[in-house]
Amino acid sequence: MRALTRRKFLRTSILGSLAAPWLGPGAAFAQDESAGSAAGFHEGVSNDEILLGTSAAFSGPSRGLGIELYRGAQACFTRVNEQGGVGGRRIALRLYDDGYQPVPSVQNTMELLIEDQVFALFGYVGTPTVTRVLPILKKFQEENVYMFFPFTGAQPQREPPYGEFAFNLRASYREETAGLVENFLRIGRRRIAVFYQADAYGRSGWAGVREALGARGGQIVGEATYTRGAAYGRSMGEQVEILRNAGPDAVICIGAYGACAAFLRDAIDLGLEVPVANLSFVGSENLLQIIADSVDDSERYTRYLVNSQVVPSYEDESIPVVREYAELMDRYRPEVPESLRQPDYVPFDRSFVSLEGFVNAKMLVEILSRMGDSPSRARLEQAVFTVRDYDLGIGEMVSFSEQRRQGMQRLYYTVVDQGRFVPLDDWRARFG
Amino acid sequence: MKLNMNVQKLFRRPLFGIFLLFGIIAVSTSWVCIATVDSQLSEEYESNSRGIAQTIADASVDIILNRDLSALQSLIDQFLEIQGISYIYIVNEDGEFLAHTFVPGIPGEILASDPADTGTVERVLSGADNYVEVGSPILAGVAGSVHIGMDKSVITLKIQQAVGRQMYLISSIFLVGIIAAIMLMNLAARPVEHLLTYAVQLARAEREGEPAPGALLERDDEAGQLARLLLYFSRVADPEKAGALARPEAS
Repeated sequence: MRALTRRKFLRTSILGSLAAPWLGPGAAFAQDESAGSAAGFHEGVSNDEILLGTSAAFSGPSRGLGIELYRGAQACFTRVNEQGGVGGRRIALRLYDDGYQPVPSVQNTMELLIEDQVFALFGYVGTPTVTRVLPILKKFQEENVYMFFPFTGAQPQREPPYGEFAFNLRASYREETAGLVENFLRIGRRRIAVFYQADAYGRSGWAGVREALGARGGQIVGEATYTRGAAYGRSMGEQVEILRNAGPDAVICIGAYGACAAFLRDAIDLGLEVPVANLSFVGSENLLQIIADSVDDSERYTRYLVNSQVVPSYEDESIPVVREYAELMDRYRPEVPESLRQPDYVPFDRSFVSLEGFVNAKMLVEILSRMGDSPSRARLEQAVFTVRDYDLGIGEMVSFSEQRRQGMQRLYYTVVDQGRFVPLDDWRARFG
Repeated sequence: MKLNMNVQKLFRRPLFGIFLLFGIIAVSTSWVCIATVDSQLSEEYESNSRGIAQTIADASVDIILNRDLSALQSLIDQFLEIQGISYIYIVNEDGEFLAHTFVPGIPGEILASDPADTGTVERVLSGADNYVEVGSPILAGVAGSVHIGMDKSVITLKIQQAVGRQMYLISSIFLVGIIAAIMLMNLAARPVEHLLTYAVQLARAEREGEPAPGALLERDDEAGQLARLLLYFSRVADPEKAGALARPEAS
């Protein structure tokens, strides 16, 4: 294991400067005040700190995802730090805002690896961002830089040539879409259309639906797209019209909460009253809140909504990890650092996204603790592989190996009842 | 005032000629400019796009055969950042769309077209926007094809910019030329003005029996010669003065 050599530093600096002209104004970043400076760090580890790096959406139409994921993780890290950290080292996060845009995400990652020299990347948000960052990890493979538990279920970080540089905890989009397709087919809804974000994330979900339907002799009956970053105020009437002409029995949405809420609104308004499913990435609470805040009869608009989740309901405190999450979220009420705070964003007390952030952080802490008193990037991968049938308290044993870089597979389906998401037990009764 | 009018009448035709000449120059050079820029830019855009399509086609083989289609989408999204490229789509050998950049959906014109055709095609999408589409086969077409659409309005905008700059230059030259022409014409008209003034003064002197004005008679240019000729003719018209005029010559 080697640190960055001068030659490599120069090489990567040149790469960074080449990327710089492509940077948009939204690439401004901020640091977690709790994070120490890069000075004195070796591979992101000092005598009293382990520094992790995050680039995520803390601004823009999808900011709720980055903010809530961070808040959940921070609840876990705060407790760990209060108890003395991992091997006597507190865990710190260096945060950068990429606004859910690929180019700032690439630049932030270069900054994290070259300037900040973080120990590992953690808590990234989004497929279009992560897919552009993965080649950087391959470039830095001699430095043993790994990405942990990105908030995306896409395939590129799960398969060659970049799968070996990332570890995933959540189920994949392929699994989520297959589950939705299977359930719709089971209740006789065979004509499935797709509404998706016109980028790698949308394509990943689209490919999952296509594959799941293809395996059962079907095909997508209609598809419509929207541009990444579309907010709730945008009309999705054209998209609804395209899908309505295809005559679907159900629509699977692969998008973020703003656009998916707009689609749901326009679908109901234009008479497309069929089940509308969303993937876990959508940000369920953000979506529900937008709908509730903007329409009078929100029940009418959410009646056909079904969201798949990769973590259980945050209200089910019979599950140990949910109980722990709820207690720590109430105790710490974590917030993003002042410099990244959005004055008009009101965080949720609890959410699926922050629960996922909490579970991710808990798993990472376990992995770091397995390296004992001398954590190093070189031993990180082997430490992950020692996780076999580990009980995270979520009701599913977690395992990793060279062939298995995704810790969990379980999916949960939720619908809206009385203004909140509840587990969906009977598909036929709800949508049959 | 009448004098100036006469001079302007004198040079009205040359001025009109100058205007006409500049007009012909402006129109002809603009036409040549439009044709050249259009031709060169279209060729350049088409050539570059074909090169990009080939690059994507080469890079797509491994992704289509071995990897998730999100990687393919990520690949084409990066090329969409290049100026002039409006849309990209990739179809497999069965004509199924594997990745594309259309919002809110794939246009009917493209759905109705032959996806195996990788030649240059002009398209009008959404009933108004003009595009030039080029294609490139993937694995000689057995794995599908890549298609890239370029917005022709970008070329039109560049033509407008080039012609605008040229018109600005020609207009500036035209303005300077007109000012210079008026100055030169005024310079050329001055002897005629002097001659006209002399003729009026001579006529007044003849009528009132005063001695003929001496101005201009000493000049050795055409104005002086014409002044002397006017003086001669005025005396030829008056037999008394004609005799006086003839006598010294006879002696």
